[in-house]
Amino acid sequence: MKLTISAVFFALSLSSPSLAQNANAVSLNSDVMVERTTTDANGRSQVTLEEPRMVVPGDHLVFVLRYRNNGAQPAGSFVVTNPLPSAVAFQGTADTSATVSVDGGRNWGTLSTLEISNQDGTKRPARSEDVTHIRWAFAQPIPAGQAGRLMFRGIVR
Amino acid sequence: MTSKLYNFGSCSVVALAIVGAAPALAGGTLAGSTITNNASLTYQVGGVAQTPPPPAVNVFTVDRKVNLTVAESGAATTTVVPGQSAAVTTFTLQNTSNAVLDFALSATQSVGGVSAHGGTDNFDVTGVQIFRDANANGTYEAGTDTLVTFIDELAIDATVTLFVVANVPTGLATGAVSEVNLVATGREGGTAAVQGAALVQTAGANTAGMDTVFADVAGVTDGVRDASHSDDDDYTVSTATLGLTKTAVVISDPLNGTTNAKMIPGAVVEYCIAVANTGGAAATSVAITDVLPAQTTFVAGSILLNGTTTGVTCNADGVAGGAFAAGTVTGTIASIAAAATRTLVFRATVN
Repeated sequence: MKLTISAVFFALSLSSPSLAQNANAVSLNSDVMVERTTTDANGRSQVTLEEPRMVVPGDHLVFVLRYRNNGAQPAGSFVVTNPLPSAVAFQGTADTSATVSVDGGRNWGTLSTLEISNQDGTKRPARSEDVTHIRWAFAQPIPAGQAGRLMFRGIVR
Repeated sequence: MTSKLYNFGSCSVVALAIVGAAPALAGGTLAGSTITNNASLTYQVGGVAQTPPPPAVNVFTVDRKVNLTVAESGAATTTVVPGQSAAVTTFTLQNTSNAVLDFALSATQSVGGVSAHGGTDNFDVTGVQIFRDANANGTYEAGTDTLVTFIDELAIDATVTLFVVANVPTGLATGAVSEVNLVATGREGGTAAVQGAALVQTAGANTAGMDTVFADVAGVTDGVRDASHSDDDDYTVSTATLGLTKTAVVISDPLNGTTNAKMIPGAVVEYCIAVANTGGAAATSVAITDVLPAQTTFVAGSILLNGTTTGVTCNADGVAGGAFAAGTVTGTIASIAAAATRTLVFRATVN
C-alpha cells in the first residue's frame, strides 16, 4: 500500500538549489488501517486493525505517520502536515501537540478554538468533521537517530 | 491481513473512547473511488531549510456497501370495502448504498399470522401490482404512476415512493385483514432501463479493488445481509351490516279515534321499517321495499324517509318521499352512517 514517489523527489531536489542537499536525512512513512470492533459470544468486544482492503463508508480508519531522523544533526522546525482526504471525516487525535485547520490550512489551532463561517455570516464552533488539515509542529528539534510515531483517526464518509 | 491493535504509545486508550461517535452516514463515498492520504514533512538543520523527504502516500479503494430500506408509509392500515378495486398501500424504498443500483421489487401476501397493524391475516387481495410514484406527490394516480417490476438506477441516498395496488374480493366481513409485503432486492446498476444482474458479495479474501459487501438489516420477510429489505402493510375491511326491523302502530280507528285505537276495519296503521347499520362503514343508496298486506290500503303521500329512532321507538319523522305502486312501498335512503339507524315510515288503512 505504500507508494514512494522517489522519482518526483529527485526531480524536486534538483530543481530546488536553495534548499540544502541532504536527501533522506529524515524520512516519513504512513500507514492507514481499518479498525474493526467485533463482539464475541461472551459479549467481549475486541478491536482489530486491518489493512484497508475492505473499506466501506462508516468504517473507522487509523492513520499512522512514522518519522525518523537518519541524519547526523538534530532536525529543527520539524513540521509534519497531513491534509485530510475529502472522503475522510476527521475523528480526532489523542496527541495534544497537534493543531488542525478547518479552512484548508490558512488558520491553525486546536479544534475548540476554530470557527466555521455560516452562509448567513454568523459563525459556529468547528466540529471534527470540518477539519481539513492536521499538523504537528515540534517545539524541540528531533535528535539525530530518533524516530517517532503520530496518529489520528477518521471515518470514511 | 488482520493484526491485533498495537499500542500507539500513550495514544490508544484515549483514542478508543472516540470510536463510538460515528457521523450520520447513509450512502457515503462512492464505491470504487480511491482515498489518497498524503502526509508531508518540513524541517531545518542548523536554521537552514532542508529538502523535504518524499511525502508519505497511502491509497485505498472504497468498497461497495449494499444497503437499502423499505418502509411502509403512514403507519396505518388501508381501510377497504368488499369488492373495492385498486386499493392502495404505500411504501418507500431508499438506496442507502454507496453506489447507484437497480432494485428488483416483489409484493407477496402473508398467510395467516398477526398483521402489520393488528388483526390476523385472513384473506388475500387479488391482482397485486406495484406502481412507482411517477410525479413524486405521494398519492397513487391511475394512469400517471408507472407499473414497475424493478426500480432502475436509483441514485445514492435517493428515495422512491411505491404503491402496492390490489383488488379486494367481495363477501368479506368488517375486520377482515389482508397483509401484503413489499420486498426490494439490490441488483447491479449501470445500464439504464434494464434490470441489472444479481449482486454478488465478494467471497473469500478482500481485494485491493472494489469489493461488494451486503450491509442491510433483516426485513419482515428477508434476512440480514442479503441485499434485500422488506416491510409489510395491510388492508382492513370495513363494510356496512344492515338489519331490518318492522313495527306497526294503530294510530286511530273509526270508533275510538286516536285514543286506544284498535285494529278494526277502517283503522289507520303506521308501519315503521327501521334499518340499523351495525357495520364499520356507511351504507349508501339503501333501497327499501315493502309489500303491503292485501287487507290494507295505502294512505297516499304518507311515506316519510330517513327518519330516526329513539332506542327501539320509531320517531315517525323524516321527509316525504318514496313511491307506492303495484301494492309495494319503495323508498331509498341516501346514506346510513356506521352505527346509525334510519327509518321509512308509511301509513295504511285496514280494509
